[in-house]
Amino acid sequence: MMEMVSEFLALLNPATGTGENLLSFILSLVWIVFLMVFFLYPSFGQRMQLGYMLRDLERKLQKLKSIKDEIQTITVDTVKREGPPQSDFSKEVERLSEFFIIQPESMDPYGLVYKLEHILETGESVYESEVAKLVPNASEARVKTLTNLFEILRGINTLYRVVRHYYLLGKKTSNIYLVLQIQMILPQLIEIAESYRQAASAFSKGQPIGDGVGVLVVAKLADGLEKTRYEIAKDTIVQELELEKRRVYIVRAQGPGGTVGRPGEAVKRLVESLSEQPKLIVTIDAALKLEGEETGKIAEGVGVAIGGPGVDKYKIEELAKSRNIPLHAFVIFQSITEAITPMRESIAKAADVVLEKVRKVILEKAREGEVVVIAGIGNTVGVGV
Amino acid sequence: MSSEPTIFIGPKTREKIPEPLTFLKCLSCGVENSRPFKEGDYVLKVVNSEKCPKCGGAQSKIVNIYVPQKKESK
Repeated sequence: MMEMVSEFLALLNPATGTGENLLSFILSLVWIVFLMVFFLYPSFGQRMQLGYMLRDLERKLQKLKSIKDEIQTITVDTVKREGPPQSDFSKEVERLSEFFIIQPESMDPYGLVYKLEHILETGESVYESEVAKLVPNASEARVKTLTNLFEILRGINTLYRVVRHYYLLGKKTSNIYLVLQIQMILPQLIEIAESYRQAASAFSKGQPIGDGVGVLVVAKLADGLEKTRYEIAKDTIVQELELEKRRVYIVRAQGPGGTVGRPGEAVKRLVESLSEQPKLIVTIDAALKLEGEETGKIAEGVGVAIGGPGVDKYKIEELAKSRNIPLHAFVIFQSITEAITPMRESIAKAADVVLEKVRKVILEKAREGEVVVIAGIGNTVGVGV
Repeated sequence: MSSEPTIFIGPKTREKIPEPLTFLKCLSCGVENSRPFKEGDYVLKVVNSEKCPKCGGAQSKIVNIYVPQKKESK
């Protein structure tokens, strides 16, 4: 036995000088096979890379799925708490998570803004009434917040379906370029999904979110000074107050339910109803920060600070142009995650700073007896009147 | 080809959901206190069910709800 082992070792040892070096022969063979594979099958390397990428994609897709499932569970549990007992909401929740809104045709752009407004408003009303059917005993404010929760579920459901589509399509067609594109943007998509998860928790409990900072500023401005209050557009109120003999009209979504209201239509109706032309329209909103920027940073400028599909922004711009009213804007910077998750301290503290700046602008730009319109933009969940 | 991915990722990779604090201002003495957020809290809500720890005043107003910033360790 020992003899056989020593003979075998001698074969492997190049120093034996027998010319029968088995190890070098095997290694050469392996190299030749490898070279042949790459020579005869040039896309072999790409195939291997595709395999790695698909595995990575699969892992991340699974993470997306688990976030989607968690948001669905939060939604079902929240509806169960508010809805009639002994009801199974799973199917209804799933049905509402597939709800869609078809964008208007833009081949002929004439009247597009109003078509978009009509479709969005219809979609919002229908969706809200569907949610209200599930929780007939919930207050109006709670129904609005729950509608936001369902919208988050809808968002994550769409995100998951789209990523899965590209993953499966890439796998089916072995298209590395398709897989590469989805793999490149997936870290950002996962970050958005993670934000949705945290947002679902915030909406299920009715906590104020970062996006509500504009509303928070005007709520603090009106606190203790409000003279009258009335609804001017759906879910949107006007608060009249006097600030050092200046007439201030505050436009904001009605809280504490989760809604953004219709600030564009509200400002338009308000200004058209006033006997005196406002000296200034001020909008306050959250804005997306760039990487490296500080959360809660405040910037001041000119224009209409309103995000979203653009309908509200368009209406205020049209109005201001036709009546020659200056537009002033304040924005509070935050990331997409911070905008839809519970409000951070730096954002809440920035609201107090903006409040002082708004007061200063009112006093500087309007004289005694003159009118100023201040619009607090954002989701009013957790911010009362 | 299965339509669902098969590799399982556990909940360990999850980020913790930040929990906000509610800041109440006593309407009698003006002192501000905080406590963990409770469902039903909202900014500018007048709370009648909680006594001020300083003066015992029964009414307070919610002035802020936010997630406190983590203090940086030196």
